[in-house]
Formats: sequence, C-alpha cells, structure tokens
Amino acid sequence: MSAILEVDHLEKKYGDFSAVKGISFSVEEGEVFGLLGPNGAGKTQTISMLTGVIPPTSGTARIAGHDIKSEMDQVKKVNGLVPQDLALYPTLSARVNLNFFGRIYGLRGKELKERVDDVLRIVALTERADQKVDQYSGGMKRRVNIAAGLVHQPKLLFLDEPTVGVDPQSRNHIFESVQRLNRERNMSVVYTSHYMEEVELLCNRVAIIDEGNIIAIDTVKNLISILGGGVIYIGLEQVDDSLLQQLSELPAVKEATLTLPPAQPPLPEGEEPQTEAEPVMPNPIVKIVAENSQQAVVNVISFLNEQDRPLTSLEILEPNLESVFLHLTGKKLRE
Amino acid sequence: MKSISIAIKDLQILIKDRGEVIQLFLLPLLFIIVFSGALGALGGEDEATLLALPVVDLDGGEAAQSLRTGIDEAGGLKTELYEQSQAQELLENNDIHRLLVIPADFTSGTEAGNQVNLTLISHPDADIQETEAVRLVIVGVVNELSLESQILASLRQMGDMQANAPEEYQMFTTDRVLAQARSQFETSKTRPLIKVKETIPSQEGERPIVETLGLAAVSGIAVLFVFGTAQVTARSIYDEKKIGSFRRLLAAPMSKASLLSGKMLPNIIVGLIQFAVIFAFGVFGLKWLGLSAPTLGSQPLSVLLVCIIICLCSTAFGILVAAIARTENQIGGLTSLLVWGLGILGGAFIPIAFLDQFLGPVVKIIPQYWANRALSSLMLRGLGLTDITTELAVLLGFTAFFFLFGLWRFDFD
Repeated sequence: MSAILEVDHLEKKYGDFSAVKGISFSVEEGEVFGLLGPNGAGKTQTISMLTGVIPPTSGTARIAGHDIKSEMDQVKKVNGLVPQDLALYPTLSARVNLNFFGRIYGLRGKELKERVDDVLRIVALTERADQKVDQYSGGMKRRVNIAAGLVHQPKLLFLDEPTVGVDPQSRNHIFESVQRLNRERNMSVVYTSHYMEEVELLCNRVAIIDEGNIIAIDTVKNLISILGGGVIYIGLEQVDDSLLQQLSELPAVKEATLTLPPAQPPLPEGEEPQTEAEPVMPNPIVKIVAENSQQAVVNVISFLNEQDRPLTSLEILEPNLESVFLHLTGKKLRE
Repeated sequence: MKSISIAIKDLQILIKDRGEVIQLFLLPLLFIIVFSGALGALGGEDEATLLALPVVDLDGGEAAQSLRTGIDEAGGLKTELYEQSQAQELLENNDIHRLLVIPADFTSGTEAGNQVNLTLISHPDADIQETEAVRLVIVGVVNELSLESQILASLRQMGDMQANAPEEYQMFTTDRVLAQARSQFETSKTRPLIKVKETIPSQEGERPIVETLGLAAVSGIAVLFVFGTAQVTARSIYDEKKIGSFRRLLAAPMSKASLLSGKMLPNIIVGLIQFAVIFAFGVFGLKWLGLSAPTLGSQPLSVLLVCIIICLCSTAFGILVAAIARTENQIGGLTSLLVWGLGILGGAFIPIAFLDQFLGPVVKIIPQYWANRALSSLMLRGLGLTDITTELAVLLGFTAFFFLFGLWRFDFD
C-alpha cells in the first residue's frame, strides 16, 4: 500500500501566532485517517492548506504524488472537500447545487447527470433532490454537503467535522456513507472531529492534534493501549515523592504521577456558569495509569486506608481516545 | 467555462430573490415616472413666467426688429436693448442673468437664405429652469421667423427667375408655387435658417445645453441604479464567504481570476439588462404615459459602449466594497453611502449642468457624475463618441482604480 498523502513539516503562521506548527504525517491509499483535537487545535487550518484554500507558511505535502506548492491544480482534481460549514446555496435545490459543483470540476452533460444521480443515491436524497436546500433538516443539509464533495469522484476526501449539529439518525447515515465509500470505492478519507467516538468508529489511524502540534499518531488500538487498563485520578490532602513511589509499585498499577485537576472545556458561547464558585486552592491529584483499572482501584484505596490518608476525590476513566487525549494534554475534548 | 458556471448560478440565486429583482428593475421605473413627471412640470410652469430678456442687436435691420417683436408678442418675455460692452459687463457681474446677441449679418443672412446663429449667453449662476424657458420661447419665435424668411427668399427667387424669363410664365403655376412652399416647410424643420446657440461663459468652449429636467431623470436614475448593483456583487461575495462555499470554490481546480470574474459577470449582465429596461421604459413608456421622453441620441452604439463601461465600473466598485467591508452591515452602510449618496450628488435627480454650478469641482471626483455626463451628452445633447472621450477615460480610470485597489485588499483566505 502506498501513501496518498504525505505531509512534511507543514506550518501556518499568522504574524507571531502559529496555527499549525510544522506537522508531519502520512495517509495510506484506502485508509480512513482521523485528525482528533479540540476546537482551535489546527485541524481546519491543516485541511485548508492541503486543499489549496490557504497557502502554507512553510513545509509542504504531496497528494497522489503531486506537491501542494507546485502542482496545486493537479492536487485539486484529486481532492474532495466537505467543509465544516454548510457550503451550499440555500435557495437552490440539492440537484442544482450538485450540478453546479460538478461543473466547477469540469463535468458536463451525461457524465454530470450520472455523477449527480450517483451521489444523491449515496446520501439517500434522490427522492427529495429537487427540493430547495433551505427546506431540508440539518442532517439532510449535511448529507448534501457531503454529496457536493463527492460529485467529481475524488481519490482523497477531506471531511471537516461533518457531523456538527446533526441528529443521531443522520449521523449514523453519514458514518455508513463514509464506510461504504471507503470499502466499495477504496476512497481515502481524512476525517477531522472533536468527537472521539466517531474517530474510534471510523478511523484506521488517528493523529491527536493540539495547539497546532501532533502529539500522538497511531492506530486507535495502540493509542488506547498507552493507558493500559485505564486511568484513575485520586485527590489527596498531601502528596510526597515517597507516596507516589509506593503507589506506582502496587499491583495492577503502571504509573503514578502528580498532576493538576483536568482543565474543563470552555463553555459554549453565550452560556454562563451556573454558580459563581469562590476560587479555592485545589487538593493535589494523583494520576494513576492502571494495567487493570478495577484491580488497581481496590489496591490503591486499601493502601491509602492503611496509610490513613483520606481521599478527597476519585475519578476512574475507562481507556478510550478521550482519556488518551486527557492523559496527553491535561485537557478534555469539548463535547 | 467555470466563470460562466458561477455567473449562471449567481443569476439563478438572484432571480429567486423577488425583493432584489423589484429593487433592481421596477424601483428605477417608479423613480423615473415620479421624477420625469415632477421635474417636467416644474419646467412647464417656468415657461409661463414673464421675464426680461436683455438683447444686443448688432444688426439693427428689419429681420432683427421682427425677431424682437416676435419674442415680445410671444407673451413670456420682454426684450430690452443694450449696448454690447454694457451688456457684457452687466452679465459678468450677474446683474443680468442672460443675454441674446443678434449678429451683424442677421438680416442680410436670412434674406439671402444663409444660416445665421443667434447666441444666448447665460451667467453660470443663472437659474437653469428660467434659462431653459427663455430658450424655448426664442426657439419658437425663431422657427416661425426662419420659415417665413425661407418662404420669402424662395418666392423672391422665383420672382427673379420669372422676370428674367417672362416667356416661361407657365413654369410658375399655382401648383408649382405651393409645392415650393411645402418644400420650404420641410426644410425649415430639418435645416432651420436661424439657430440658437446657448453658452455659459465659465464652461470650456461653446457647448449647447438642451437637456431638460425631466429628460435628464432617465439617464440619471439608470446610472444610480446600475451603480447600485455594486451591492449585489459585494453581498454575493460576502454570502459565499459566510456560508463557506467560497472555501469550497477555492478548493476547486479553478484560478482565483476565474473565480472573481465569475462573481463579476452577473453584475455586468444585470447592469446591462437594467439599462435596457430603463431606457426602453424611458423612450417608449414615458411617451405612452404622456410625459417627455428622451431618445438614444444619434449614436445608439455609443450609448451601448458607455453602458458597458458604466457596468464595468459598477462591478469593480462592488469588488472594492467586498474587499473593504467585513460584515453585512458594513456592506449595507458602504453601498448606501457610496452608491446612493454619491449617486445623488453625481446627478441622479439633478441635471449635471446645475451640479457643475452648485457643487463646483467636487462633483468631478464622483464616478456617477462622469457616467451621467457621458450619457446626457449622447442622449440629450446629441453629441457623439468623440465628444465624450474625457468622460470615458475618467470612467475607465475609476474602473481600474476600484478593481486594482479591491484586488489588493481582497481577502481570499
């Protein structure tokens, strides 16, 4: 299997601010590759550079063998982009929208009609194709948005947060469409999301991106295995190095380190905090990476009771990409 | 082809927006009816006002006397004789507002059947409506006098011929004489023996001013609304960016030049359709409504060329607004100020000769002013393409400036 996308130290700067900090990764042909990160991590900026929407500040990438700096015209023919926004003309029908985007990619006549009919079938909107887009539900609009990125049969499809604001039924439909395109047409997909369960479900490999850096890249299974059997956060009144050493030597415990409480994700825009709590100095938190979380919890609590050290808090995280992200960045992915 | 696809798509979106269609195509017609009717009526009232008309009679002959009597008897004006130097001084001081100069060869010229020119000089601050009323009265008297002189000259010529060849008396039958008279009637309509030239001393050269208030409204409102389509271009680009489709277009295999030209093309098409609708209504609709209607002048193709250049200028202006404005409100505010505000100052509702006098050199930095000048020169003053090269050059200069500045500031990201 050869790489359809090879990213080499790609960087995007706006003045002194680096939105993307020299990232490198590759995507194999026929692979569904996930870019997982919170809002503002640099996912959309990365996709924008790879699709020719914005130029990179430095670094480059090759898509299907074409350099994005010197052969963008060729790259654009290979790429398909489904942007995060509903990039459709709301007063026109789905069919007119798709005809337009097909013509922009040079499709004409019978070929255009066949391609439009095909993508309408893929997103299951054939029967309502002549309805105005602004009369569709949010999920249906998302499906037309995806269809518009597929109409020219791209080899590499960039899906940028395609399920934002979508009902569960439409979300499942989108997942099925992506899986079918990948399975039946061997289409390579770069899928960005801040929903870890989507990435876990769809992607062969995942790059975790935060503040413009890729902080981990591997298969979902391997990434989760970083946490072994899960992570336990315990709050204590006092912690010293000898306690950490003793905890890390307990059976079923892989590692024990002092950490700060996990940062909460920002509240949605316009939403106020429910209570105005007085700022207090938090108790120290010990992060325990477990080989087996249930066994480790029993051992840790027994040990602390023996030592007469009361717990101020306890949180057990099952191993998944969310807890991997928290483990690697100290931050939660925004739900 | 991709530019055309974008243009077709934009036109499809535009057609579905009924409010926009009404604003682009029906509102101008309503404005024209109101302003043509109202301003035309203003001009009509002035014709009935009794005014003093200073006259310098350099001829002193019989025809000059007949002309003065004719003007006095027409009922609207009272002629007053002045010496030339005295009259010039009074005119310069604006103590008199206009002056009719009868040339020294007036009587001999009309008797000989040669064309002679009367000159109506008006002070730059003279009321344009009054001047127009005076001109209309003089033209009416002159036409009668011109016809009379031509018929008399013709009969005199026939009499001379008969005297020289009395044996050929059968050649001068009643039918022959009547035919000659009818011929003179027609000739006087197309080639008047006496012409009235109107001049304003402060203006370059001697430019005849024949535009009337009502007629000027058609081209003025057309220019106003065609420049208004700049808002359509700016809003269309803003909407593409807002919904994210601009990003999708940037990711498609097409150049930025194709993308921009695709966004500009609908504006040019809409602008030309606006001109066609407004001028068709102006030429035929106003006549049907019983109002004064303009013509396309003697060079309709030149009018078309001017319309194309105005559409280009308006489109480039739209690109500039799209480049500068960051929000929908800014687009609305900028276009209201620049399109409507400057449009009105540039002569949408007020004839440009009046604007020249009222606003002075300020109007010369307004593109709509030059557009109105070009169109009124062709449609109302009967001038040709070679007479409006300055106007066209200035409009093209504005177009280049708007486009290049807009391109420089345009945020493709």
